[in-house]
Amino acid sequence: MSNDVVIRTDRLTKRFGPLSVFEEVSLEVKKSEVMAIIGPSGAGKSTFIRCLNYLHPFNQGKLDILGHTILGGKHHLPREELRDIRTRVGMVFQTFNLFPHLNVLENITLAPVEVKRVARANANERAMELLEMVGLSAKAKMYPKRLSGGEQQRVAICRALAMEPEVMLFDEPTSMLDPELVGDVLAAIRRLASDGMTMILVTHEMQFAKDVADTVVIMADHGVVETGPAREVLESPRTERAQSFLHRVLHPEEANDLIDAKMAPIGGRQ
Amino acid sequence: MQTLWSVWMQYLPLLLKGTVMTVELTGAALVVGVVFGFLLALGRLSHIRVLDTVATGYVEVIRAIPVLIILFITYYAFAELGLVLSGVTAAVVSLGGFYATQYGEIFRGSILGIDRGQTEAAAALGLSHAQTLRRVVLPQAFFTILPPATNQLSNLIKDTSLVFTISVADLMYQANSALSVNFLPMDMLMEAGVIYFIFYLIIAKVLGRWELNVQRRRN
Ligand SMILES: Nc1ncnc2c1ncn2[C@@H]1O[C@H](COP(=O)(O)OP(=O)(O)O)[C@@H](O)[C@H]1O
Ligand SMILES: [Mg+2]
Repeated sequence: MSNDVVIRTDRLTKRFGPLSVFEEVSLEVKKSEVMAIIGPSGAGKSTFIRCLNYLHPFNQGKLDILGHTILGGKHHLPREELRDIRTRVGMVFQTFNLFPHLNVLENITLAPVEVKRVARANANERAMELLEMVGLSAKAKMYPKRLSGGEQQRVAICRALAMEPEVMLFDEPTSMLDPELVGDVLAAIRRLASDGMTMILVTHEMQFAKDVADTVVIMADHGVVETGPAREVLESPRTERAQSFLHRVLHPEEANDLIDAKMAPIGGRQ
Repeated sequence: MQTLWSVWMQYLPLLLKGTVMTVELTGAALVVGVVFGFLLALGRLSHIRVLDTVATGYVEVIRAIPVLIILFITYYAFAELGLVLSGVTAAVVSLGGFYATQYGEIFRGSILGIDRGQTEAAAALGLSHAQTLRRVVLPQAFFTILPPATNQLSNLIKDTSLVFTISVADLMYQANSALSVNFLPMDMLMEAGVIYFIFYLIIAKVLGRWELNVQRRRN
């Protein structure tokens, strides 16, 4: 594996019982690369990025991540290996998942203090820097309940960044947000990208993907249907499946039963 | 009126002596019940098959047996087998052992009720299972634990009165011995009932205040 490849999946296959989520996904992410994953709901995008930090075990294939090699079919990884991967890979969820019993600052410092044994004062200082960066330093003492969705998601980004990760995974970070709150979150992600963070981003924001991502992957029908440089894939997709998906996303008003039937192969979506 | 008051006052010191025992029994059985109950909950939630099976078996069997039978078994039947326990020890073991099943199920239900996204977020940050439980799951489960736990505590307080059957000198025991001398069952039992009620009221107030304080801090 060449030195600047951070994540490589080799024919990764994931099933939930008899349900096949994706088959033989082979992808590669280099250092400082931004990869956007798009595709219809139920295509397995979330499940795929959760396999990368082993929130889900996978059935077959091989995952190389940050120097670790994991083969499919294992239910548990050794504790130390799991910890190493997870402390070096940050994750941001669709539903934010902030800890409601901790205030903003405590949400951000919990993992550095508990897992990395960072001194409390240093953790607080770093947390305040991160909050400053996303424009939320005034809200450090507030509890998540009091924040808007967009603010919560920016805190969640800070919480992940506080571990000083080498890779960030985003699972539709803006799809639960009111439209007027999306911009601030995208701005924070864009800034990370320009700082050289390696990222995999599941998103429905096509324009953002086009602007920020280096590569775009389209997942559908239990696998990757197209992958390549962002602009190429989004502007002139080669495969018919990619074309029909992009057409539907870019022209939602034309959606009709025929296309819907095509987009929803039996068993392929919720 | 005058006589009722003086009778109640006359026997108050005796009943309060019994109350001390009742409070101590309640406290000891509560500690045993909560600690053991927590272990039972962890056992039932464990991925280790034996732990799950043993904990589940214990809970299903013990919670179906009347406390009085458990108390008699621990006090009389164990002695027959050569394990002689004092009345107080037998009382704490049987009440604690029984209420562990109640507290265990309360803990388990509350832990299972925590949103999966919470444990996933903790795992993604690198927290271990134990750290996740301690720092993320249990503090949130607290609110769903407290109301049913307070409820079970009121049952526990009442069930401590069963120990008078094995001659542990609790509140019920003292009321019973007083009424067998003065032949005033109505007065003695009412007075004991009032003390039980006040005891519960104090505890419910304290726990309620505690819950309120924590809730307020989080807003
Ligand atoms: N924990 C799970 N158990 C069983 N099936 C699941 C689980 N998580 C997701 N799935 C199924 O896997 C498929 C892919 O889901 P998901 O990865 O969430 O898709 P996407 O993120 O692309 O919308 C869906 O059919 C979904 O129902
Ligand atoms: Mg998803």
